[in-house]
Amino acid sequence: MLCQFCKKREATIHVTNVENNKVRAIHICAQCAEERGFDELKKSNFAMTDFVAGLFDSAFAAAEKGISPDNCPNCGTSYSAFQEMGRLGCSQCYEFFQQQLLPLLRSIHGNTRHLGKIPQRFARQVSLRRKARGLQDELELAIQLEQYERAAELRDEIRKLSESERGGGRACRR
Amino acid sequence: MPTLKALIEKPALWLSSEAEEGELVLSSRVRIARNLDKRSFTHGASAQVLTEIRDESKAALADCPAIAGALVLDLDGIPESDRMLLAERRLISSEMVKNFLNRSLVAMPDEQISIMINEEDHLRIQSFEPGLSLQKAFERIGGLDNEIDARLCYAYSEELGYLTACPTNVGTGLRVSAMVHLPGLVHNKDIGQVLDGLRNIRLTVRGIYGEGSDIIGNFFQVSNSITLGLSEEDTVKNLEGHIRKVLEFEKKARSVLLKKARSLLEDKIWRAYGILKTARLVTSKEAMSLISAVRLGIGLGILTDCKLSTLNELFIMIQPMHLQKLHERAMKTEERDRTRADYIRVRLG
Repeated sequence: MLCQFCKKREATIHVTNVENNKVRAIHICAQCAEERGFDELKKSNFAMTDFVAGLFDSAFAAAEKGISPDNCPNCGTSYSAFQEMGRLGCSQCYEFFQQQLLPLLRSIHGNTRHLGKIPQRFARQVSLRRKARGLQDELELAIQLEQYERAAELRDEIRKLSESERGGGRACRR
Repeated sequence: MPTLKALIEKPALWLSSEAEEGELVLSSRVRIARNLDKRSFTHGASAQVLTEIRDESKAALADCPAIAGALVLDLDGIPESDRMLLAERRLISSEMVKNFLNRSLVAMPDEQISIMINEEDHLRIQSFEPGLSLQKAFERIGGLDNEIDARLCYAYSEELGYLTACPTNVGTGLRVSAMVHLPGLVHNKDIGQVLDGLRNIRLTVRGIYGEGSDIIGNFFQVSNSITLGLSEEDTVKNLEGHIRKVLEFEKKARSVLLKKARSLLEDKIWRAYGILKTARLVTSKEAMSLISAVRLGIGLGILTDCKLSTLNELFIMIQPMHLQKLHERAMKTEERDRTRADYIRVRLG
């Protein structure tokens, strides 16, 4: 069964909730669960019920607003409406229609990865990841050239970076 | 707070001729598109959401030191004629003349920085510079962008960058353009090849009034079209490099033209100047074509008693709404053509 959130990966966590004689189920993959704080949950005393309630809220909010599951859950825009108008409904549409949009973006820009400016709230996280990507490329090259000592150094650096990267971008409180 | 009247009493600073390649390049423009996170983009947002976005944006902008003393205009609080005037001055888009509800403009009195609120994107921040000065315009806008970023929550994704209503702007949201004057290349008919070359390297070429406009008076607006996968700095540097190459071609075309047909060229330039100084009825299109010839005359050193800054000002001032505002009444086409001719005669002395 596919994950209800990304609709790409296989769901590995299945939660069923029975409330007022209504049964609702959530099927989510490990990565989406992690992005929504499941990892934090394991480390802290964060209540399981809050986490599950949060998941149900985000999964069913669109349905409760009467939005079709094929449309963006935030603004209700359908992909065919985008194709007709040439404009997306909101910033969340980019995530929801990612699969359809990526080939389009490649044909418009010849690329699908942003290399420019980073807003302050993402600055640390994104620059660490960009740095890690660069080191990863270097590591692959070092292995190819059989420079194993250098490769070990790079691996340690990447490990350090990924440790300091945990925690993700700051939520916007403005 | 400055008023609209104060704004239009003097020409915008970017019309100054004291600029690098000032005759070949009328102006440089840089704009960035930004949206607020998780909110519907302008075209699909309800009136209430648009009002909220406008209020939040205005409050944030009022707090930005880079635009202290800016004029704030709610477009639904001014008449259509004023909106048309702002569009003629490139301070708002022609789209905003019609779609004005819950839209606003924030502009510095010298017009070098302006921000449209609730255009296609929630914020469209633009900067103008005279001549070829893309880097300077870009730097000015970058500082303001940082100030706004500290006050509002921009829609952004690590993969795709700044998220915009239209996928053609996603990434940097940056559009860099220069208005170039290429009569030499038009005359020797190499222009088609040059424009094809620019399009092949994914640059966009438009007429003087932007999207969908005709090529008038040998003026071309050249801009980047790629916003994803290229840094802002590289986008600016690349465009400037390509424009400099086009200017080299233009200079070569002019020198060949001077060698081969000097008398013909001089005659064309002086005739154009003569018509502008004496005509009683001039349409916008004719004026632009004559101004182009006079501009070329200044560039080649053939005409020395006319200033480039005067020609630059004419660009803005002979447009229909500027003429009508100047005379404080609505005019029909023929009256406008007469008033335009009068205005040009006075300005050229």
